[in-house]
Amino acid sequence: MTIKLAIFYVLAAFSVWAAAVVVLGKNIVRAAVALIFTFCGMAALYVLLDAEFLAAVQVLIYVGGITILLLFAIMLTSRISSAAARVINDQVVLSTVAAAGLLVGLIYASTRGIAAMSGPPQLPETAPFLGRALLTTYALPFEVVSILLLAGMVGAIILARKE
Amino acid sequence: MITFANLIERFYAATAAWGIPWLVPTLVVMGIVVGVIVAYIAVASMFMIWWERKISAHIQVRFGPMRVGGWHGWAQSIADGIKLLLKEDIIPARADKVVFVLAPMVVFAASLAGYVTIPWAPGLIVKDLNIGLLYMVAISSLTVVGIVMAGWSSNNKYATLGAMRSAAQAVSYEVPLVLSLLGPVMVAGTMSMGQLVEAQSGTWFGFLPRWFVFPQIVAFLVYFTCALAECNRLPFDIPEAESELVAGFHVEYSGMRFAIFFLAEYANMFTVAAIATTLFLGGWRGPWLQIPGLPSEVARGLFGLVWFQVKCYFLIFVMMWLRWTLNRLRVDQLMDFAWKVLLPIAFANLIITGLFVALWK
Amino acid sequence: MDRTAGPVPIGTTVMMERTGETMEEMYVNMGPQHPSTHGVLRLMLKLDGEVITDCIPYIGYLHRCHEKIAENRSYPQIVPYTDRLDYLASMAMNFGYVLTVERLIGQKVPERAEYMRVILAELQRIASHLLWLGTFGLDLGNFTIFIYCFREREMVLDLFEAVSGQRLNYSFYRIGGMAMDFPDGWVDNCRAFLEWFKPRIPEYDALVTNNILFQKRLQGIGVLDAQAAVNWGLSGPMLRASGLTWDLRRNDPYSVYDRFDFAIPVFDSCDVWARFLVRRQEMLESVKIIEQALEQLPSGDVMAKMPKTLKPPVGQVYVRTESPRGELGFYLVSDGSPKPYRYKVRSPAFCNLSALPEMMKGCLVADTVAILGSVDIVLGEIDR
Repeated sequence: MTIKLAIFYVLAAFSVWAAAVVVLGKNIVRAAVALIFTFCGMAALYVLLDAEFLAAVQVLIYVGGITILLLFAIMLTSRISSAAARVINDQVVLSTVAAAGLLVGLIYASTRGIAAMSGPPQLPETAPFLGRALLTTYALPFEVVSILLLAGMVGAIILARKE
Repeated sequence: MITFANLIERFYAATAAWGIPWLVPTLVVMGIVVGVIVAYIAVASMFMIWWERKISAHIQVRFGPMRVGGWHGWAQSIADGIKLLLKEDIIPARADKVVFVLAPMVVFAASLAGYVTIPWAPGLIVKDLNIGLLYMVAISSLTVVGIVMAGWSSNNKYATLGAMRSAAQAVSYEVPLVLSLLGPVMVAGTMSMGQLVEAQSGTWFGFLPRWFVFPQIVAFLVYFTCALAECNRLPFDIPEAESELVAGFHVEYSGMRFAIFFLAEYANMFTVAAIATTLFLGGWRGPWLQIPGLPSEVARGLFGLVWFQVKCYFLIFVMMWLRWTLNRLRVDQLMDFAWKVLLPIAFANLIITGLFVALWK
Repeated sequence: MDRTAGPVPIGTTVMMERTGETMEEMYVNMGPQHPSTHGVLRLMLKLDGEVITDCIPYIGYLHRCHEKIAENRSYPQIVPYTDRLDYLASMAMNFGYVLTVERLIGQKVPERAEYMRVILAELQRIASHLLWLGTFGLDLGNFTIFIYCFREREMVLDLFEAVSGQRLNYSFYRIGGMAMDFPDGWVDNCRAFLEWFKPRIPEYDALVTNNILFQKRLQGIGVLDAQAAVNWGLSGPMLRASGLTWDLRRNDPYSVYDRFDFAIPVFDSCDVWARFLVRRQEMLESVKIIEQALEQLPSGDVMAKMPKTLKPPVGQVYVRTESPRGELGFYLVSDGSPKPYRYKVRSPAFCNLSALPEMMKGCLVADTVAILGSVDIVLGEIDR
């Protein structure tokens, strides 16, 4: 049990617990706050995988942008005093079956199915590597994603505009 | 300073020789470093609060604190802190207790975590991350989350509106802020705070230091404006406006919780001033002299420490000066300014800087 | 004005839940305790998102039965009550009232007293506008202008204290003249104040008037064009900011105002910015009036010979003067007894405030404070 493994277990447990609060929590705002902790846990796991740029971007975009968006959406559409949400809905059986199947498949894959990879590439800094890759090898997907984001923005503006 | 690194290595070696596992000295060093940073934040915030009262007073033809502690009321902040500690801890009846208590912690934790990559002196950084600048920006976006949590959990319509306004303002001004910071990053070719200071060595024409503020003056002004907005300072202090319709996100907080918000605001001010100093004003660079009896690195380090503080507090002085001179912007004018003025300017700066870097490097 | 929704009962604060799930249409209550309503005023704003669709002012929190009390007081006894009407312009209130009674009884006032009245009324105008400017800037977030204006106002209050013994409610005017003469050296002190004050306006300009942030906050909001201004019965700086050149000191001169040479500032952009400029310029014009009055100040008595009990002839009179807020009118009906039969005050701030819903329509919530500040209300006068 090295230190790194112990830290991984702690972080993973923390992320899973926070995710459980998100899914099973009754108070919707507490669920959103737990989502923040989930994202932070993910960012810490990225750091353990030597992807520090990705971790910083995860915090910047997910926590600093998307959770704010979620909180806005919650606040603008729910009543101030009541914040309870239905936790169990009609699809609980189907979703449990699907989640259990996915869990079995992942455990099988991680222990026996897929050959272990050689480990992350030994880069002194990932940011320049990522930047160069995005603009040379993966330039096309990069541009496609930009157009997708643009389409999303235009759609949001049209939907939200008052006549 | 180089000697600090030696000290830490010798400490590790000593504990290893005594058979103590590697984790213990790591935690001890971490604890000491965090303690020093927290102590610095506490003292610096208290100093800044006193200083703000003095600056505002002298701008307004009055004196400010004069009695507490004797000379110009220097102990006023300490007295205020003690008073806040002794106040009753009130949590509104129907507030969400967990989120209410957590919000100031999130805000303060975010402010504290930003101090990790500040280059105080040559070689004196807690951790010179190679994505140092990106890390600081990412952490400062966490304060927004804390503010929204505070506003929501207060169960107060005005607090919620104030928190949402603050979040909208912070998120809007983050975009030109990051874009303006990319200019010096492109010129220096690195995001590491320590190396950004190293990249500003030397002079032009023998006397003008090669600080990034000179070629990147536009980026500096855009950054400074966005930094004011991130700190919720006038003229961007809609979220804290006392005389507007919406009272502000921390209206239901009293006592020590309010003090934590206050402390975090000033800690934030120092952080943004530190980023501006590092990127644009040359960080700890400045003329230094040999001190007889000390090795030259130590002398350089001491002078660097002083120069860094001087530059940071000069920028903080300008922030306070602006607060007491200007009036507030209206919410829609604020958003207009961010999206229609600052963002295009930041983009233009980025493109031009990119062209220069591509052609001349 | 849409009142079809029915009046909102006094005492209720309507929250968001009332109008539905979203924040589309809601009522927001401002006051009666609020840092920016300048007194105990309650504003009920009907919002559609950020835009104000209606604004309902609730007044009466400071009603003290001023007019009814006056029916049980003799005419000289009413003077201290008029102070408390517009407590920020007490001299102007006194002035209006004593002029009314003097018109009723046909009393002639000594020359020196006339000049004293004008000097003190114009100093009062400066003090009132300074307070307005300071609180206006404070509402918008500029704390420094507040301190600067109050520094000058303190000097005026010192002058008033020297002459009347009071800092706020002076009761210095009397029916037939003034309570007493200027103390020794007062005229020199007054001149020294004017010399100190004249370069202060450029100082305020550097701080607020020439500041683009300030201008952007004020331009284009709270618009009330000339025709609407006349229809709503506005007066004073609000009328002059809508392009109409109407100042009672020039158009219906009273006392000795026709002997002075001063300009009437008029701006025609009809918005909050114009009102700001009008009041700022009025301060400079008042300085001119005071200087001329000090120069022409004759010597002599300050009080005419008045009977012990004042019994005006049966009749009625309405006299209007230009207070810092607009046309201040006093209407007196006398039945020959020492106490008035009916006494009514035409309060300029009351009429100006009644136009507030019209001015607020279509503006953003954030402009509420600026528009309300530009009306320059004093609740003592509005509620009486």
